[in-house]
Amino acid sequence: MKRSAWRPTTAFFVAVLGACLAGCSPTETSQPSTRGVVYCSESDPTSFNPQLDTSGTTSDASAHQLYDRLIEFDIETGNIVAGLAESWLVSEDGLVYTFQLKKNVAFHHTDYFSPSRTFNADDVLFSINRWRDESHPYHTISGGMYPYFQSLNLAANIESVDRINGYRIQIHLTKPDSSFLAHLATDFAVILSAEYADELLKQGRPEALDHYPIGTGPYRFVEYRKNRFIRYERHDNYWRHSVPNPQLVFDITQRSALRLAKLITGECDVSAFPAQSELNAVREDDRLTLLEKPGLNVGFWAFNTQREPFDNPDVRRALAMAIDKSTLLDAVYFGSAKRAIGIVPPTSWAHQQNAEEISYNPVQSRSLLRAMGVEQGFSMTIWAMPVQRAYNPNAMKMAKLMQGYLAAVGVEVTIVSYDWTTFRNNLQAGMHDSVLIGWSADNADPDNFYRPLLTCGAIPSGTNRAMWCNQKYDNLIERAIAVTDSDQRKQLYAQANRLLYEQVPLLPIAHAFRYQAQRENIKKVIINSYGGIQLGEVEKRDD
Amino acid sequence: MSRFNLYQDEFHPSPWRQTWREFKRSHVAMAGVVVLAIFAFIAFFGPLISPYDPTLQNTDALLVPPSWDASGTVRYVMGTDALGRDLFSRLIHGAQVTFGTSVMLVLIAMLVGVAIGVMAGMSNGTRASVINHLLDALMVIPTLLLAIIIVAILGTGLVNSMWAITLALIPHFVHHTRNTVRELMNKEYILAARLDGASKTHIFVHSLLPNMIEMLVVQWTIALSVAILDITALGFLNLGAQGSTIELGAILADSVNVVYIAPWNIALPGLTIFAMVFAVNVVGDGLRAALNRRLRH
Amino acid sequence: MTKILLRYLNLLVLTLLVVIVFSFTLGYLFPGDVYTNLTGLESKAEALRYLKVDSDAGFFSLFIAYFSNTLVGQWGVSSITGEPLFSEVLLSLPATLELGFYALLLAVVVGLPCGFFAGLKPQRSLDMSILGASAVMYSFPVFWLAMVFILIFSLNLEWLPMSGRVDLLLNVPTVSGFIFVDILLADNIDKGHAFVDALKHLALPTLSVSIITMATLIRAVRRSTLDVMRKPYIIAAQSRGLSSAQIFLKHGMRNALLPILPIMAMQVTTLITNVMIVESLFSWPGMGHWLLQAIYQQDYPAIRTGLLAVAGAVIVLTIIIEVLSRLVDPSREKFDRVAV
Repeated sequence: MKRSAWRPTTAFFVAVLGACLAGCSPTETSQPSTRGVVYCSESDPTSFNPQLDTSGTTSDASAHQLYDRLIEFDIETGNIVAGLAESWLVSEDGLVYTFQLKKNVAFHHTDYFSPSRTFNADDVLFSINRWRDESHPYHTISGGMYPYFQSLNLAANIESVDRINGYRIQIHLTKPDSSFLAHLATDFAVILSAEYADELLKQGRPEALDHYPIGTGPYRFVEYRKNRFIRYERHDNYWRHSVPNPQLVFDITQRSALRLAKLITGECDVSAFPAQSELNAVREDDRLTLLEKPGLNVGFWAFNTQREPFDNPDVRRALAMAIDKSTLLDAVYFGSAKRAIGIVPPTSWAHQQNAEEISYNPVQSRSLLRAMGVEQGFSMTIWAMPVQRAYNPNAMKMAKLMQGYLAAVGVEVTIVSYDWTTFRNNLQAGMHDSVLIGWSADNADPDNFYRPLLTCGAIPSGTNRAMWCNQKYDNLIERAIAVTDSDQRKQLYAQANRLLYEQVPLLPIAHAFRYQAQRENIKKVIINSYGGIQLGEVEKRDD
Repeated sequence: MSRFNLYQDEFHPSPWRQTWREFKRSHVAMAGVVVLAIFAFIAFFGPLISPYDPTLQNTDALLVPPSWDASGTVRYVMGTDALGRDLFSRLIHGAQVTFGTSVMLVLIAMLVGVAIGVMAGMSNGTRASVINHLLDALMVIPTLLLAIIIVAILGTGLVNSMWAITLALIPHFVHHTRNTVRELMNKEYILAARLDGASKTHIFVHSLLPNMIEMLVVQWTIALSVAILDITALGFLNLGAQGSTIELGAILADSVNVVYIAPWNIALPGLTIFAMVFAVNVVGDGLRAALNRRLRH
Repeated sequence: MTKILLRYLNLLVLTLLVVIVFSFTLGYLFPGDVYTNLTGLESKAEALRYLKVDSDAGFFSLFIAYFSNTLVGQWGVSSITGEPLFSEVLLSLPATLELGFYALLLAVVVGLPCGFFAGLKPQRSLDMSILGASAVMYSFPVFWLAMVFILIFSLNLEWLPMSGRVDLLLNVPTVSGFIFVDILLADNIDKGHAFVDALKHLALPTLSVSIITMATLIRAVRRSTLDVMRKPYIIAAQSRGLSSAQIFLKHGMRNALLPILPIMAMQVTTLITNVMIVESLFSWPGMGHWLLQAIYQQDYPAIRTGLLAVAGAVIVLTIIIEVLSRLVDPSREKFDRVAV
């Protein structure tokens, strides 16, 4: 009895060994039967609704893949062009915006929802009212935070959103806002399906709206596994153009080295945020191409101005003096970034060439620190982002370099990092002394830098990482947006720059280029200075 | 032995000398001893021989290949890492931390483990059976998993991971000590000592301990190799040594980011860990083989 | 026979009980609120409703509630994503077990013959080289080995893929969680292609995990073969004039294998740990990957569940192998294992 027990086992071993040999032998005649494009992304999206989040990961995964907006930015010029709105009209006084909507735009048809109608004015009303109207049934769903809109305080400026007819809507503002159209063209102003939302509300699970998304974009959502992948399939009835690529997969790979490795082995077709140190490896490999765009972004070191001793501008200035920015640019960005003087990048019209800048001076820094009562051996934390961003490709490395600089002026630095979601929650709670983070603009308007980064209103919405609130600054920013003459605006922003130079709530470090690495047989990936990646037109040529 | 011996006494080397003589016959094992001696030397005097401060960042020399590479320089014998730190100095400091802490924590685990094991082995009744059952449950869970559990409770960090591995190693020492003590307690000479009215302490010090030492040395080498692998694994997983602590596993974890563009940043720390573990294993094997041969003679 | 089975069943139930008690105490050991740690729910009211207890429930009744919840698969939700943890574990655990199984298989397929060869001809050059190789293999840090394999086989030679269980573009629906089973069950894909692809994905992780187990196995088998071949009945067989091949196949092999099974039981736990370490390097969607994320994110309910699941799985596996080895060799003493 015992003997016979061994026989099947042996047979099994042989079978498995045979299967193994068959698998390893190079009989690779059949081409992959499944086609599609794999994009290696850097992190998990928090939801599939970019209204709820300003993180680039969330917009990459949703804004241009799943949704459309009323109006869009032209990729080349940054001008506003038609989206779901065919045309629009702004009244003389700048208070009334009228949009004429496109007809016959189909929503996604998926396992979990079958639309019975095409896109119309109700969807626009629903999408805007969700974040605007606090009594809207969906307002508090999924946390009720709409950081982009709240940091701009946009809801307060919208008096009403009216449906004129099925395909025409009108928005009334309380005061003119020269950047209003730009806001509607950002990644965050996506159009959701009102019909789907109603159905979910009836089913009693409204939060599914943000996790099982329905939009009008080039791909429809299939499956998401946290930390692993997101799967999309082609939206066959996409209104703008036919989608060439049948399947899109986001392979979530946190380490940039592994993303590069997967790109080389062909397991990824496109990779997000190649590390700056790897750019040369990508350039030298014939099978890979590197896309490059000047980015509308700024990486900075923000102090928590609500904590002692960082509430003292002189302490902040002294700490800023201890940092040698040029080295950071070389070592972290490998020269692929512009030195930041103010918070607005040189590509913007509001960039001020002659703005003042705090210069590197460790000796003065040391004496100023001692004079301010910051003793030798004072310890503080620098929070370093766990993820790569265009504006800061390696915050951890930067933090380590800064640790060295600050040690030279007698300040001991502890570097703190968490998982990205925890990191941002804790930042929001103001648990940091200082943080290395940054901002990628969502539209070309300078207000998109000045307002969300440093105004009082942006503290609760979690984009003002310095937690800095200055009435004078807020007034300047308000005035700048109310005028339309760009010279006048420029002057107001110059005053704001001056104020920032005096107060140092943050130390701007760099404006980085935005990179995308991809296999050579991939065409038409659009990297967008104004937001998330666009893969709607991507094509993969079979070798 | 070459000494002239007037009286033709029979020469009786002590058991230790016999073992050592057997051990010396294996060249591989002796090579292992030499490597271990080097690591021990590094553990004590590492900072004296490292050419640079391991945290010194030279931003003009990022990712310099090792000196034997065409584009390497002699200034950095083993090249530099992504922050321009000298890899050789980092390896020396890393080896110091990894090896030093491993040796220490295995010693602590051994002391505690032997104490508990002797208690369990010499007593019987409920206390012994409770300890035995707990041990059997604990032995099932591998040390590293146990360490990960403890780190998850205590929080990450080198000191916490040391505690975790120490705690995780204790059951193994208890297990082996208990078995050996059990075995020895049945021997006639122990019985004789007991009949003479020797106290438990006396029996332990004079009869048990001398017979356990060799087993303990062998167990110690096994535990040491486990400890090195575990401490580097925790460092690699970012659960052990963090940030500014230089530890071989943590150095490797840092290097994953440059795996493709600077493979020597992976190869060298890995080889260092490997050399350390291999030397410990070879010495352990040699010891065991020597003991076996001695007992057979 | 029944007695042995009953005794092991008893051991299984007791150890699992200990594990559940331990995971319950983790709720107190972890920072934060006990109710949140036990359920993953932020508000105490919701947590109490989840556990089905009153707010004034004492320590003991809380444990009873937790215990019964655990038995029916109500393991709480993740405090980060809010997903039910039980189903998350069901998604990840099969991947880990699968990789562990193939690694063990490879280790056995290679390790047994090598161990026999070495043990039959001790101190010869073949024995010395096998023994030397196993000593080298035994000393590799598994995470480093995995990286070296990736560097050589994926990045330089470009023979094998380095991430995941199967090409992501192959949309294999998850049914059982075991990739080959799922491929067989899937109806929308080219099965042959998917099968080959999955095997290729399996190659590197399996190899890096199995090397260490293989080394242990080789040494154990060699030792055990050496011992067996010195036994009187082998010598008796020799004197009867049987050829050495006959002797080994008829008498030696089986007896040499008997003490190996309990070693495998010990090895399974090491193997699973090693699998968990390399998972994140190979983007292998298993428990290790998942548990590490939970630790990094300080998702305490998930850590508690992960430990519960891993410890539970390890114990069940170990006891199954122990039972098997007892059934094959009932004469063996309870915890008598051959030296490695």
